[in-house]
Amino acid sequence: MKIANLISTTLFAMTLAFSPAQADDWKPSGPLKLQIGFGAGGSTDTMGRVIAKVMKEQTGWNVIAENKTGGGGVAMFTGIARMPAKGNVIGMGVNMPIMINIVKRGAELGFDLDSFDYLGTVAKAQLALIARADAPFDDLKGMVEYSKSNDGLAIGFGAPPQKLLMGVVGKQSGADFRFVATKGEAETHKLLLGGQVMAGFSAGTHVKYLESGDFKMIASANDSRHSYAPDTPTVREAGFDIYLDPYFYFATTAGTDAAAVEALTTALGNAIASDEVAEVVRNAATTEVLNLRPANTKKMLVDGIENVKVLFGS
Amino acid sequence: MIDFSIILAGFSDAFTLWNLVFVLFGVVVGHLVGAVPGIGPVMAMAIAIPFTFGFDTLPAIAFLVGVNKGGLVSGAVPAVLINTPGTPDAAATALDGYPLARQGKPLKATKMALFSSVTGDTFSDIVLITVSAPLAILALRMGPVEVLALMIFAFSVLSGLVGKSFLKGVIAATLGLLFATVGADPENYNPRLIFGHYELYDGLPLVSVAIGMLAMSEIIRRLSEIHGEVKSAVSVQDAGNRNDQRVTWKEYWSCRYTMLRGAGMGTILGALPGIGSTAAAFLSYSTTKALSTKPETFGKGNLQGIAAAESANSAVVGANLIPLLTLGIPGSVSAALIISAFMIHGIQPGPLLFQDQGRLIYGLFGTMIMANFLNLWVGQLGLRIWVKVVSAPESIIFSSAILLCIVGVGMATNGLFGVVVMLIFAVIGYLMTSAGLSVVIFIITFFLGSRFEISLSQSLALMNADITRIVGSTPSHWPC
Amino acid sequence: MSFRADRITGALIATFGGVLYLFIIPRFVDSSQSSWIRPDTIPLATSFVIVLCGAFLVFKPTAHSLQNLRGHFKAVLFFLLLALGLYAMSMFGFVYIAPLLALSLMLLIGERRLLWLGLGVIGVPFAIWLLVVRVLERSLP
Repeated sequence: MKIANLISTTLFAMTLAFSPAQADDWKPSGPLKLQIGFGAGGSTDTMGRVIAKVMKEQTGWNVIAENKTGGGGVAMFTGIARMPAKGNVIGMGVNMPIMINIVKRGAELGFDLDSFDYLGTVAKAQLALIARADAPFDDLKGMVEYSKSNDGLAIGFGAPPQKLLMGVVGKQSGADFRFVATKGEAETHKLLLGGQVMAGFSAGTHVKYLESGDFKMIASANDSRHSYAPDTPTVREAGFDIYLDPYFYFATTAGTDAAAVEALTTALGNAIASDEVAEVVRNAATTEVLNLRPANTKKMLVDGIENVKVLFGS
Repeated sequence: MIDFSIILAGFSDAFTLWNLVFVLFGVVVGHLVGAVPGIGPVMAMAIAIPFTFGFDTLPAIAFLVGVNKGGLVSGAVPAVLINTPGTPDAAATALDGYPLARQGKPLKATKMALFSSVTGDTFSDIVLITVSAPLAILALRMGPVEVLALMIFAFSVLSGLVGKSFLKGVIAATLGLLFATVGADPENYNPRLIFGHYELYDGLPLVSVAIGMLAMSEIIRRLSEIHGEVKSAVSVQDAGNRNDQRVTWKEYWSCRYTMLRGAGMGTILGALPGIGSTAAAFLSYSTTKALSTKPETFGKGNLQGIAAAESANSAVVGANLIPLLTLGIPGSVSAALIISAFMIHGIQPGPLLFQDQGRLIYGLFGTMIMANFLNLWVGQLGLRIWVKVVSAPESIIFSSAILLCIVGVGMATNGLFGVVVMLIFAVIGYLMTSAGLSVVIFIITFFLGSRFEISLSQSLALMNADITRIVGSTPSHWPC
Repeated sequence: MSFRADRITGALIATFGGVLYLFIIPRFVDSSQSSWIRPDTIPLATSFVIVLCGAFLVFKPTAHSLQNLRGHFKAVLFFLLLALGLYAMSMFGFVYIAPLLALSLMLLIGERRLLWLGLGVIGVPFAIWLLVVRVLERSLP
């Protein structure tokens, strides 16, 4: 994975080197807004701000990072879908909330997948199911058994897909999970450390707690195992045909001039390939940079919709 | 246990001239920006973060700490001088600060706010530096059920602020809770009462509601009461006693128990992630009023009232770093912004932060102490300037304040939508005040509302109960 | 006169709560989801309390009275001006509308001195533009 990533980055850098001056053909007419679909101070915000800064340095364009909160990117992409396609805005969001809203209330939304031109991704979050280190189980099977033989098991979740995922596991195994809603990963950690819940979800910040011996990892909720825990199986490997692959991705209004999309893609790709962005991705999301490029970003979303339908049990 | 040499190294990193310059710069920026109506300390920090990209880690954090502390003190300035608080905790300061300023003692009122703010802040910083680990463990033991109990307690002390009609207090409080339910429900994240405006998915923007109800509606009220001659927005008594424009040591010392109590409450509530300075400021204010032998003097310019509110809300800020540094859990937006700065500079916060980054943390501690002293010094100067500025005619102060509220809210919510929400809430605030309904009570329950709902849901989940059997007609069980 | 204000307030609030409870919440809040606390529990409960308290206020009003009708009329004027200003801002932008808004506000307040008018109409908006666009490199609404 890492090597493939490295190769693709290198190849990309080489193609850039041999296709000179492409980005020079097009320039944003005014400031280029990088809208971030989450509030200030979170991991998406932190990565977005660094990307904006690197893009600004590399291209000389006036790139402005802005937070547009509301439904994990729904409000931001609603706005972007409505804008005139002038190539002066890039939206940075996470795929899960967007896909869930498309599946759940597609008719009411002001956009669908075709409302955008896709520009790439910066990373895939590594979402883990974790438990207190002293929990009397070490894997998903043990967790299910424990919940059945005791008075249920409290799981902290900070976002809807996590609850949906465990809902499917609960349905298929007959486990008695009690879902405790939190305002995000930090609060889930607090409830875990305080012993109010026994298990929970975390997309990276738990790694430090694994090191400190407070938590242990039960399963990877992704389609693949995590880079820092190659021995921990995925939920899928544990026998439940379901997964969550949250991607941080970029898009602009559909119908933007091809040259503009090309220039934006290139500028964004160059920024994402920089060391600075690699470092902040490691720090903010505990994962490696992964740019799917435009075509595969769209494919990821189209395929993802099918997966979300599975989460809803349809 | 951390090696003593690391502590020393950290402090020596902090007490350098270079670092001092950054803290000073931060405090000055905080004082300038935090006092502008519509901006306030948190936004000042969010704006400042991109500027720290190029700095080294400690100076970057030092700068942000300076902005935060400076902004916190000066956040009380518009509340006290022209009764236009930008945040609910500044509204607590305005309860007694503004009446005192109106009596021609604006400098006395703002100085008391500055001194008690720095006192509360220093208290919580000392607690943070010395006993943060045990306090963090205490905070962890406070689970959702305890937090819920604490919220209900906080709602009950609101009765101390109610005034003449208890019924109207209940109406204001309930309206606040009702408006807090706009946006996604805590468990399924389905939007409620947003009427197709997905900008409201995460709830009504707090800045818009707070500035609309507290600042804008008050500005409009003041404007509509101007007849004939245009006066200064605030008048300083020239001929009066010199003691009217300063806080004497005797006055400061008479507030010592009030400030200690406020700082204690602020520290404990600040160590608990997610509750915030609003509850602390009002809890402290209400208790001080209840314990006072002369409760009728509160709301009329009592120094104890200012001291209670400011010591508590400032203590929260230092204490917010307790769960952050010991457990890696941010307790507030400003703590989350500090985390963001850490991450940009290659440090991942977590439970091992003290072990991995001991030197930096002690550098941060040294910086915080330094920032408190600078804050006191810059604050004295800053207050004089602000009082001078606000002595300009009402026409220019209020028209500029309106423009700044528009720009500030527009920047905080990134667009005109938040500004429109602000205007709507300014109208609601104006109507409520005219009808004798307290906007302050509304704002407090509004701010605590979403935390109240999620704590209720968490408590029910943990106790395996189902309240819908009592309230709703059709019981629903998970999984359905 | 003095008792009327609270009676009107109470009636308005009770009506507001009633409309929410009966029409708006059932339509705009999802109640079908499975959860510990249903999405409509708190909205319904609070709107119910509001109806009760509003009705109670109609029957037991306090001595509160609406004073200063002229002031309220002026307030309406200011609110309308601001609404108009925001609408214009959404069309033409802050840079063009802010000075006009400041000018009309200051004139309405009763300011006639040219120096202060100049400062409020040109100086302040320019300073804001300088700070936001030049120093902070952010965009104005």
